[in-house]
Amino acid sequence: MNDDQLDEILTEAARDYNAPGDVPRDAMWARIAAARRQARVAPPPRNRVWLWASAGMAAALLIATGISIGRRMERSSTTGVSTVASRDTTSRRDSAPAAVRPSEVSAASPSASLATRPEPARDTTGPDKTLAYQLVVLQHLAGTEAMITTFRASARNGEADAQVGKWARDLLGTTRLLEASQAAQDPVMKRLLEDLELVIVQIVQYTNRGTNDPEELDLIEQSIKKRGVITKLRGTLPGQANLPGTRG
Amino acid sequence: MTESSRQNDRQLVSRCLGGDSAAERLLYDAHVERIYRLMHRMAGDPDLAADFTQDTFIRAFDRLEQYRGESSLATWLHTIAVSVALNGMRKVKRLRGRTESVDGVEGSPHLVVGPTGFTGDLKARLHTAIDALSEKLRPVFVMHDIEGYTHEEIAGTLSIPVGTSKARLFDARARLRLALAAFAGDHIA
Repeated sequence: MNDDQLDEILTEAARDYNAPGDVPRDAMWARIAAARRQARVAPPPRNRVWLWASAGMAAALLIATGISIGRRMERSSTTGVSTVASRDTTSRRDSAPAAVRPSEVSAASPSASLATRPEPARDTTGPDKTLAYQLVVLQHLAGTEAMITTFRASARNGEADAQVGKWARDLLGTTRLLEASQAAQDPVMKRLLEDLELVIVQIVQYTNRGTNDPEELDLIEQSIKKRGVITKLRGTLPGQANLPGTRG
Repeated sequence: MTESSRQNDRQLVSRCLGGDSAAERLLYDAHVERIYRLMHRMAGDPDLAADFTQDTFIRAFDRLEQYRGESSLATWLHTIAVSVALNGMRKVKRLRGRTESVDGVEGSPHLVVGPTGFTGDLKARLHTAIDALSEKLRPVFVMHDIEGYTHEEIAGTLSIPVGTSKARLFDARARLRLALAAFAGDHIA
């Protein structure tokens, strides 16, 4: 067989390669529109389980925001000293932010949070924008932890339904947006977002199939544990660990 | 790309940036079919293809203000789409924990060749060999030989010179021929 014959076979056989079916035009548009809406405003809680989880997250965010704003205001009155916010809410360092030595920064845990990271070079034209941006990221991470926690609890009882799937799909869209945003410039955050995306994709696929396959659920559990997703999320959300009702 | 189509692209983008949701849907409808087809060819799974397509448009709308009209809107969208698909497929492979290569394919079992010159098994073998092409070669082969994109379109989408697109296609075909020849040589007289 010569090259021309092979090319003929190749061309003909390649036509069927991953041949697409009908384009789910409307379904995709609905999700795109939903993701864009969600990017503009945070989604409301949808049932009582989520209500409690979301309330906990909201409280955690409120506290984190208060601490963060307080510290920023404090920092704005000091000059020439690089400071860092503590995520240990049991400590009493709020009124005296610690200076960070380079060695401390490099030795920081891989799950170091936005709140524990040393301050980036300040953009004097937009500190409010930076703060708002960080809040969006934190809010998303809090929502993701709530979803994963809810999923684990409900899936164990065979109750992971389409609502959880939709929630996960919404979060997946935002996670991907954040991966393409300035949040991913931080390698720690980038890694966390990638891990989250993998876990959320698994959850979306699990709820899409609706088979409640225990082996698949086990794979998701392994993925969550192997990547330390919950631990990293909790390490990234300042003050949350001490709030009642926020543990999964 | 003609000046009038460029003008249409700019007008549509301008309407979208002005918050015109009907224009957003128009933009989506004009390009979704081709992008979804390409995503499906690259992903091989309808759910993944839908995910990649959605992600492409979400990102595109999010960054629409960055569109300068230097290339066609279709090319700009395809650039985002291919990037989304390649990143997504990397993650999927990582998730599945498996990689495939042409070498691995050569050890797979064969079936007897039918009267048309190739069998379902041969086709499957070719598809696996396409899967195993590198990230540089596969998009070019899929876009040109399967979806019928021109080298100019591919070059614009992948931000490479037209000559590079042609060279990659040549290389991809040679590799597939090699994978196919090892099989066909044994079974086709």
